Amino acid sequence: MKREICIRVMFFASTADVVGKRTIEVLVPEGSKSKELFDKLIAEFPELSDKKLLFAVNQEYANGNEVLRDGDEVAIFTPVSGG
Amino acid sequence: MESRSVVNKKGKVDFWALTTEPLDVGRIARRIVPETCGAIVTLDGFVRRFTKGKETLYLVYEAYEAMALREMEKLIEQAHEKFDIESVSMVHRLGKLEIGETSVVISVAAPHRKAAFEACQWLIKELKRTVPIWKKEVYKDEEIWVEGEENFSENASDNDQP
Repeated sequence: MKREICIRVMFFASTADVVGKRTIEVLVPEGSKSKELFDKLIAEFPELSDKKLLFAVNQEYANGNEVLRDGDEVAIFTPVSGG
Repeated sequence: MESRSVVNKKGKVDFWALTTEPLDVGRIARRIVPETCGAIVTLDGFVRRFTKGKETLYLVYEAYEAMALREMEKLIEQAHEKFDIESVSMVHRLGKLEIGETSVVISVAAPHRKAAFEACQWLIKELKRTVPIWKKEVYKDEEIWVEGEENFSENASDNDQP
């Protein structure tokens, strides 16, 4: 059995409203790619699937191929609207 | 206020920040006045009351602050590569903003005005596309987190605030 690693997941603005939390911790198998975590989160919070989503891993925009490491910081949010 | 500054390749200071405090546009614009420059172009983006005929009561801005500061830094670095400019100041306000209050200031100092205008225009366009900040429009009867359009296309929306 693979060891599990702990990922800190952050939500902002409308994704935080939908999920009802700003930060959660999620366990994923060691060696998981970010896409696997994103899919797991959308399955857990199906309301998110109605939205166009962007992802970040360790404060950089993610493409899904990043291999996650223990303690990584992942964020899920909608297209940005500052200015 | 979360602020960062760096001495850039031209030997001048770039400055970027996020703050919940009101923005003093003149102070940010005139933070750097290099003697090798002849123009500073400043964008003062402020909260508009009417968008597409709908009346905004106020806005609330939220940021993924650590990432936003990193993205702002990247934009300033890219602006130096693209344009003949010497110094950039970029500050975005967060929290609740009333109508007419300044939400974002971008000041670009350059030897000549053309590069400063072009860089300032490019910086606000890119900020609205890539820096993780969101605005909530609060209307009389509802509140809506604004979603940017096609975040990574070149055609970022110019219809939303400011």
